[in-house]
Amino acid sequence: MTRVEAVRLVAALGAVEMALVRRDPVAGPLLAQAARAADGLAVGGLVAAAAALSRTIDLHGQTAGERAARKAAQALCRAAAQRCQAVALT
Amino acid sequence: MSRVWGEDAAVLAAAGADVAGLTALEDAILDGLALPDGPRWDAHTHLGTDADGHALDAARLVADMDRWGIAASVAFPANEPGPDGAFTAANDAVLAAAAGHPGRIVPFCRVAPDTGAGAAIARAAAGGARGLKLHPVAQGFAPESPECIACVRLATELGWPVLFHAGFGARRLAGPFRALLDAVPAARIILAHGARGDARAVREAFADHPGVWFDTSLAALPDLVELRPERLVFGSDRPYGDHGTGLQLVGLAAGVAGWTTAQVAGILGGTLRALLGSAR
Repeated sequence: MTRVEAVRLVAALGAVEMALVRRDPVAGPLLAQAARAADGLAVGGLVAAAAALSRTIDLHGQTAGERAARKAAQALCRAAAQRCQAVALT
Repeated sequence: MSRVWGEDAAVLAAAGADVAGLTALEDAILDGLALPDGPRWDAHTHLGTDADGHALDAARLVADMDRWGIAASVAFPANEPGPDGAFTAANDAVLAAAAGHPGRIVPFCRVAPDTGAGAAIARAAAGGARGLKLHPVAQGFAPESPECIACVRLATELGWPVLFHAGFGARRLAGPFRALLDAVPAARIILAHGARGDARAVREAFADHPGVWFDTSLAALPDLVELRPERLVFGSDRPYGDHGTGLQLVGLAAGVAGWTTAQVAGILGGTLRALLGSAR
């Protein structure tokens, strides 16, 4: 991953994080965009898994499964963002 | 009880998630942790049910700890002040959880400084609490307020460290915490989340202050790498955060900042144990 790729993803994933926290419906499109940016990179699997959750489950919902999926998506994106930040800072 | 990314695997599966795929990704995090051996202590977990729906009980916390090699966790209530507004029931529940898991859960109490805080701290101290958690945003108070200063003074007299939420929030943090520490010079405070709510100003004010530490829970990597490792303690912020990314963050920060193995071991447990060991 280049620094440019890392910074691009840090920005994209930051927007996703806030959308998920605020249960904003824009989270799905933002996740899809981030997954495209991550495709083929070391963190691609993490972001793709979060995007898959958003396609499968209503991440704005309030059932136990929807809440759990939203938290899992947040954790996946956090894992990816941390790695991208490390690349950007190295 | 199988859990993945901090959540119940069965609940995720029932909702339609690819649990096998999620587990494989989390296993890769676990396998890739470049962290030294030794006991890991977590400075920041919540028990109970938050007003926003986040929930964690002691059995699930300990199961998570076992998976991630966490020897002991500081635990305090979620944002669950209860009908009296003083966290009485929630603090009692944390004390009971600690009693039920000796050596694994280190109980801190949580109070609302303007709602019976002195009595709540005394009750928790009598029940075995070993520290205080304060959340200026959730409980709506200023760190430099007389009520907060009184709580910190009382905790300091008990020999307790005080962990403050210092993450998302609208207010500046450096000035208010400076005023608090001027009022209670012997206080030992842990600013959660690497003080990301006002990281640059807080770092400039307190990076070398002997009474200030920072926990790593849900912190930003750029904030952590600018802090001295001797002032950092690992935190997960369960159930808001998860152990995997919490530990990964420490490993990545160590690589970026060039921390030694001994420094990382301190972050993962030694520094917190020393902080807690001096509590009366």
